[in-house]
Amino acid sequence: MDKKPSYETMSDEQLVQLSLKDQNSFYYLIERYEPKILRYIKRITNISPEESEDLLQEIFIKVYRNLNRFNRKLKFSSWVYRIAHNEIINQYRKKKSYSATIDSFAENDDTDYLAGFIGEALDIDNDYISRENAEKVRAALAKLPDKYREVLILRYFEDQSYREISDILRKPAGTVATLINRAKSKFRKIAKQHQLENLI
Amino acid sequence: MTDTGQKILQKIKEDNVRPYPKSRFLFRRSVIWTVFFLSILLGSVACAIAMFQLRHAEWDLYQHFSHSLIEFALLVIPIFWLIFLLGFTGFAYYYFRRTEQGYRYRTVWIISGSIVLSIIGGGFLYTTGLPEKLEPIFFDKVPFYREWQARKQRVWMSPAQGLLAGRITKMISGRKIRIEDLQGNYWEVDIVDTIWRGRLKPAINLKIKILGHTKGESGFVATEIRPWRGQGHRMRAFKGKGGHEKNLLKPK
Repeated sequence: MDKKPSYETMSDEQLVQLSLKDQNSFYYLIERYEPKILRYIKRITNISPEESEDLLQEIFIKVYRNLNRFNRKLKFSSWVYRIAHNEIINQYRKKKSYSATIDSFAENDDTDYLAGFIGEALDIDNDYISRENAEKVRAALAKLPDKYREVLILRYFEDQSYREISDILRKPAGTVATLINRAKSKFRKIAKQHQLENLI
Repeated sequence: MTDTGQKILQKIKEDNVRPYPKSRFLFRRSVIWTVFFLSILLGSVACAIAMFQLRHAEWDLYQHFSHSLIEFALLVIPIFWLIFLLGFTGFAYYYFRRTEQGYRYRTVWIISGSIVLSIIGGGFLYTTGLPEKLEPIFFDKVPFYREWQARKQRVWMSPAQGLLAGRITKMISGRKIRIEDLQGNYWEVDIVDTIWRGRLKPAINLKIKILGHTKGESGFVATEIRPWRGQGHRMRAFKGKGGHEKNLLKPK
């Protein structure tokens, strides 16, 4: 733990190698990905904060158990997201709580992402998004079928590239592109129903 | 240190969690690739036998099936082996998708790639003569396959279309034989201008397929006689010195 400064400059792959030799080094991988994965869990599920923490713990334990499986041809972040995604799906099968609610997008820091999403996903210039509109966008997103919502979240909220989403969901990049296009068009329809015409 | 990070690390230590060994993943990977290649190999075998059957199918019967192209297609297309090929292609697809990077490829590419590999493998096996040995084994050992093939042979119960099959029951003369067809009916078959395929020698109890036309109620004029089992590879016409087909029963 004393060598923390040097850990911070290390690549994920180097930390993986170190974690295999020294359990304590895994802490720095957790530290690096914990906020992202926790946010992803909250965005994609409607489980309570306590359950999110538990799920986060299960995800990192699974990551640790499978460290030897990590394929260097992938980005480590994509691999962690993949494990998180699979674990969330498993929880969904157990608890049927995969679908997001409006509240799951209620974190204030998501508003910036929402503005970005509106701009990119709907091809409009929207530098400013009002709180009222933000809530409507969240509601519209929450109404999307899971397969569309998850690709939009990964693309516009988690800022993952098509290739990375392909690696996370284990789907061809072309299929991911098709899913994103369909998701955008579905979102437009739902947005209209939520009186977001002024944004579209 | 963050609380969550500390808690997770603590849990890992308390539960004595250890990373799974590399060998576990290597073994899993090997099993997946082995099953994938096995599926391609079995697909190749199916493909080789399909090629063999297509090569030796009785394409010349087309003229007798002008009334039903579907019936003709069912006779000549090796559906059984093509279904096998598709089944093994399905297996190959399933396991390829489970390889490390298999998900990156579109379904259509994986399936067509597997079929192309099976065709290449099948082509190679075909040249080795393996299907010629395997097909009869299937016929003898697999009742379902035997039944399937027998069903295909029912087209030979169409005397009106010029197709007849049965067992020789009597050599009436050098010009005529009597046969019992597949439904138990007796026919007197005129064999004066008949081509005997597959090095056949007429004999009592010999099962044969006859091409020709009906003559009266229970008469049949044979233009060609083929062995009951076997297709072209076993029914090449017996050729005389001049390379012409020899009519074994034609009076000299």
